[in-house]
Amino acid sequence: MQRREFFKKAAVTAGAVALGTNTVEAGVTGQPIDNRKVSEVAFPEKRPLIMYSDRPPLLETPRDVFTSTLTPNDQFFVRWHMPDIPTHIDPDTYTIHINGLVDKELHISLNDLKTKFEQVEVTAVLQCGGNSRSAFQPIAGGIQWGSGAMGCATWKGVRLGDILDQAGLDKDARWIGFNGSEKAAYYETPEFIRELELTELDDNVILAYEMNGEDLPYLNGYPLRLVLPGYYSDSWVKMLSNITVTNEYKKLFFMDVAYRVPDNETESETPEKRYPTTKPIKKMNVKSVIGYPTKESIVSHKSHVVVRGVAWDDGHGIQDVMVSVDGGKTWEKALLDDGKLGRYAYRAFRYPFKPTTFGKTTIMTKAISKIGEEQPLAKDIKWNHGGYKYNGIDEVTVEVI
Amino acid sequence: MKKLILSALLLASPLFAQVKEKVEVPYVAFPIKMGKGFDAIQTNCLMCHSFGYITNQGRQSKKFWHGKVVKMVDHFKAPMDEKAIQETTDYLFEHYGNGKLK
Repeated sequence: MQRREFFKKAAVTAGAVALGTNTVEAGVTGQPIDNRKVSEVAFPEKRPLIMYSDRPPLLETPRDVFTSTLTPNDQFFVRWHMPDIPTHIDPDTYTIHINGLVDKELHISLNDLKTKFEQVEVTAVLQCGGNSRSAFQPIAGGIQWGSGAMGCATWKGVRLGDILDQAGLDKDARWIGFNGSEKAAYYETPEFIRELELTELDDNVILAYEMNGEDLPYLNGYPLRLVLPGYYSDSWVKMLSNITVTNEYKKLFFMDVAYRVPDNETESETPEKRYPTTKPIKKMNVKSVIGYPTKESIVSHKSHVVVRGVAWDDGHGIQDVMVSVDGGKTWEKALLDDGKLGRYAYRAFRYPFKPTTFGKTTIMTKAISKIGEEQPLAKDIKWNHGGYKYNGIDEVTVEVI
Repeated sequence: MKKLILSALLLASPLFAQVKEKVEVPYVAFPIKMGKGFDAIQTNCLMCHSFGYITNQGRQSKKFWHGKVVKMVDHFKAPMDEKAIQETTDYLFEHYGNGKLK
């Protein structure tokens, strides 16, 4: 444990994120807290972002970034679980180990990974299961994220399946465990390991070393992370160190306690009465977020405004994004981008409108997936104690002057 | 010729060799309220996470804060005795509580 190093580092006083205050009444889900102030501190390779913690680093992307399909690396959100992230990784000696129920254990260097396997790319949304948690009332446990604990990038790497093929799976192989390099302060603390069942994996699952044409940023899991298109980010293990194949499920904190929702049809419960059984959050639901305008935007009367934002789901694809500029009374289809980055990517949308009334105007967006799932109104989102999977219709209220 | 040199340079440098040297994550001094039990917070919480991780949970009930502290002991193996659990819970509820016991 390199605890002392944290204290040796120069202290930087920062405008930390203030305690969230939401005006909605108890028991009602509302809009997440919107566009909190960006911190004065820039983290390595990042522009200043909304900051909740330095150790582990927790950084949120501001709303106005979400106007295009890809999220820039230096504005991409950051979420770690443990205090001790290796501060130095030598790409020349870095090796990923594959072991357990395999015919042949593998120790693959970064260079071998880049040269001895087929190189593939997938564009996919990475979203924290607790994204928008601040929408839940009463306040759900966990960091009170706004809607920027997410991003979309083109990930380049090697198919997990190709690596497992080379190792050769034992006939009893059923579970794959992924171990990250982050360390706790105490040896007894459980490591950050995720397990996935073999049947959940397909050719879109890759080990990625590149993000939007650059090496993975340090805080996004350099030099290698798991990319699991369609799934919430808790499964996208960063700084991968080890992959272990087993025949039975191992009980793990980050699988069995954290990142779970009530195991019922609506995945909901009441603050007074928790549902007795839970299930992992796994796949993302359909959602859209407005990138422009924001509540800070100045919108002129009778000007040509183009509302922009992004929409996504777990890979079924986005059918339509509906926009309302009259507080939800009437809805019209937005224009979608060409979708050529694939079904796991954001669909950027745009909607031109001319504000003809002065004063407050509320813009709302509702995404509908290709299987007909659509976003509910924020007030119809049902509560769960972890504040996971919020996907209410997004709202931005601007002043037309 | 100029073009040749440029492409040679591009070839020679890695895409973005960001972790060739030690990365420094900034240390941030989060504002935190002083009061009874603060010593226990400093001793027991700061080992693993910043004060920001605490204050950004939002205002919560006594039951919530007690549950969080117990989670740190049970799941994350924080070495805390009953007294420390009590002191940290009381502090958290007093300064970051919502006034509700449950």
